[in-house]
Amino acid sequence: MNNNTTALPSFFEDSGSDRKGILSWLLTTDHKRIGLMYLYMVLGMFIVGVCLGLLIRLELIAPGKDIMEAQTYNAVFTLHGVIMIFIVVIPSIPAAIGNLVLPIQLGAEDVAFPRLNLFSWWLYLIGTVLALFSLFTGGGAPDTGWTFYVPFSEFTTTNVNVAVLAVFILGFSSILTGINFITTIHRLRAPGITWTKMPLFAWSLYATGWIQVLATPVLGITVLLIFVERVLGVGLFDPNKGGDPILYQHLFWIYSHPAVYIMILPAMGVVSEIIPVFARKSIFGYKAIAVSSLMIAFAGSLVWAHHMFTSGMSDTAVLIFSLLTFIVAIPSAIKVFNWVATLYKGSIIIEPPLVYALGFIFLFSIGGLTGLVLGSAGTDVHVHDTYFVVSHFHYVIFGGTGFGLFAALHFWLPKFYGRMYNKRVANWAFGILFVGFNTLYLPLFVIGLEGMPRRYYDYLPQYQTGHLISTIGSWILAVGLLIMFVNLYRGITRGKKIGRNPWGGATLEWQVPSPPPLLNFDKEPDTSGKPYSYKGVERDE
Amino acid sequence: MENNLVDAVSKVDQAFLFIFGISFAILFLITAVTIWFLFRYSKKRNPVPSDIEGNVLAETLWTVIPTLLVFAMFWFGWTGYKALREAPEDSMIVQVEARMWSWKFIYENGRTSDKLYVPENTPIKLDMTSVDVIHSFYVPAFRIKMDTVPGMQTYAWFNSGEASQYDILCAEYCGVRHAYMLSKVVVVPQEEYDKWVETGEADSEKPEGMLVLEKYGCLDCHSMDGSEIVGPSFKDIYGHEVTVIENGEEKTLTADDEYLKKAIKEPSAEIVKGYEDMMPPSDEMTDEELETLIEFFKGGMVMEKKGAQGAKVAENEGCLGCHSTDGSEIVGPSFKNMIDRKLTAVHEGKTVEVVADTRYIIDSIKNPDDYIVEGYDGGMMPSYDLSDEDMKALIEFFSTLKDE
Repeated sequence: MNNNTTALPSFFEDSGSDRKGILSWLLTTDHKRIGLMYLYMVLGMFIVGVCLGLLIRLELIAPGKDIMEAQTYNAVFTLHGVIMIFIVVIPSIPAAIGNLVLPIQLGAEDVAFPRLNLFSWWLYLIGTVLALFSLFTGGGAPDTGWTFYVPFSEFTTTNVNVAVLAVFILGFSSILTGINFITTIHRLRAPGITWTKMPLFAWSLYATGWIQVLATPVLGITVLLIFVERVLGVGLFDPNKGGDPILYQHLFWIYSHPAVYIMILPAMGVVSEIIPVFARKSIFGYKAIAVSSLMIAFAGSLVWAHHMFTSGMSDTAVLIFSLLTFIVAIPSAIKVFNWVATLYKGSIIIEPPLVYALGFIFLFSIGGLTGLVLGSAGTDVHVHDTYFVVSHFHYVIFGGTGFGLFAALHFWLPKFYGRMYNKRVANWAFGILFVGFNTLYLPLFVIGLEGMPRRYYDYLPQYQTGHLISTIGSWILAVGLLIMFVNLYRGITRGKKIGRNPWGGATLEWQVPSPPPLLNFDKEPDTSGKPYSYKGVERDE
Repeated sequence: MENNLVDAVSKVDQAFLFIFGISFAILFLITAVTIWFLFRYSKKRNPVPSDIEGNVLAETLWTVIPTLLVFAMFWFGWTGYKALREAPEDSMIVQVEARMWSWKFIYENGRTSDKLYVPENTPIKLDMTSVDVIHSFYVPAFRIKMDTVPGMQTYAWFNSGEASQYDILCAEYCGVRHAYMLSKVVVVPQEEYDKWVETGEADSEKPEGMLVLEKYGCLDCHSMDGSEIVGPSFKDIYGHEVTVIENGEEKTLTADDEYLKKAIKEPSAEIVKGYEDMMPPSDEMTDEELETLIEFFKGGMVMEKKGAQGAKVAENEGCLGCHSTDGSEIVGPSFKNMIDRKLTAVHEGKTVEVVADTRYIIDSIKNPDDYIVEGYDGGMMPSYDLSDEDMKALIEFFSTLKDE
């Protein structure tokens, strides 16, 4: 190794193999390149999903037909759901940001199984292509909603077979990433990075990994069963053949509820990283936050049937699942209180990553608190399958995971591109996003409480005002997204060059060059400090 | 009994209030404290941070207090849920059958309807199922929602309360017409309900003008069919020439809006020749009601159109969920101009030309997949085994939908 440590080429220049050009990316085993490939696809598909969402909002601006037919509308919201859930949100922070950051935070040169990591990405690519393929082939784009509820999904003549196959493959990508990260965290921590000195982002990915490994196979089997039902007509879920449609709902939610925690836990990890850096003091209650991640992963696996209070299952089941659901609320609340307490007696520097992280806390709190209305059995019956749920879900997943991802991009992208974006524009973009977001989703709580069901192409006149305001909000939100992405893009291509530690972070990724070299470290990482202790840590802009 | 009835909605609303109240308080607290910290402990005001890694007391408190709060929320929610599930023993039972994309309500005496008619202040228990995919019966006003599942019975109950109408919506996504799977709960006084369930005639289905006539007792003296009771009959009254006596003078005029209004409001001013001056002035009648009445006369007092019986069958059987009556496409072919239409269809694997005559239509209702009209998917429509009477009514209804 060279004495002049900065002389190592970055991972952009050195792929570690003889391959050149695009192949040096598509066949790379470098976790950073794989992370970026995930990121490009996630963001690309995010834009597709956003456009579909804008179309939905436009159609709902007034009652009756506005821009599309009912069948088209049904396909559009199905796609919006499938793309956003399976292709964007689930891989967003765990696969994209996790791949970029996790090994470096642990002091490792790569993940435990680099080739498996590449294979996961390829499965993700194939699944995505197949999902897009299902739109243009067969009997028309799927129109079942992302939940594929039977018996409707068995009867519809649209191209459900290919879509569920895509979900099956995407599921395997997720499982393999989970296995990879769990193993990496167990085996590849550098000496000195003990379990209690491991960054909280790594802790959150650890909890997430277990859900991915344990819950995703259930989804795989479930969607495969739909395929079997449709192709072979076995009749597991078809009451005409003695099957039980409610069984499908159980199987589906046994995965899909924990999946919500696959989506939100890593975002919580991101926020736990960002807040202390900008408060310049230790995270408040490190152990409580780490343990609450595991608690959420565990308890969150036992609450799936709260999606089914009106399904016709027994009242005893409703009692148990309602109770368990309230228990999951507790660790989430603990995390929020700990983040806020971290600011206490800090020396706070307000920079874009902190702004987005605080946005996360506020929006996620609204999402979490409205979740209490849904967990409570009596109130859930009224708002189940209404726009109240739609809004709650978007507050948690878009306001939570989405803003968590934006925070992560503003926090870590400069590290991986070695350049800084325009911070003023980033803050303005946040302001517009925040206003647009609440204009879009707050009215939906109101019309949901008034009884506006979800997945409606048309609606009764009493719901019009709410829909109109919401659609206007969607335009504001779109403007905010556009400004944010353009600013980030200009930042990584033309921004001011930065040093190793632009924010003054104490976790290991801030010890390596920006961008990092192929094997991450140009010198032995110093693991003597605590991850959130900033004494003696210098900002290096 | 009465107290028990209003319970479900109010208990659910209590749970809403409790959870929302606490949630707002927590959200306000978190936001206010965050903003205060950002201000008070900014780098400018507090250049040197104090490194605090945690505080056992604080962390215990904000674990224990939320735990107690969420258990309280759970309890309120569960109480509300129980109230929604415990239907009083003496509830009136109505069977509900959901299908793509309409509701069918079946009453104890076998009467069916596509709107839910119920008497006032009565607990109603709905025994529900679906004939195709999962739907969900949702009445926001009563806070009830329950999936209807094929091959399974589910139930919900509500107290009907005062006479009024409430929206019924389908809350579980069920395909292309999901948003149109709407209906109404029509709550009517007990006597009216009894009459309706017996005869199928409901005031709410009568023309409004008729209701005005009934309200003011007009029909005690004026017939609708041309026969004489006390006063002149209403039959063909609008636009006819009448001879009246005003202040002892005889004159002839046309029964137009102005005349009729005057005759109702000031009956003694002009007396139709041959009748006594004995009608009381209708002082209580509002201008709105008066207008409705005149419109009703003007329109020839149409009570039921030709084909109305068949239209009711089409509605009750849910045909109109998929087949329009105005020529527009929903899922299946429109009923408009269907009779005697020439069409191309697939029959036993071959493409054939057929004329949609009566026999063809009856066959298509009984065996929908026998002929599949070109451009449509087979396997969508269930077969309907209708009585001959209903079938005849339907055909008559279809014939009214033909342009001459």
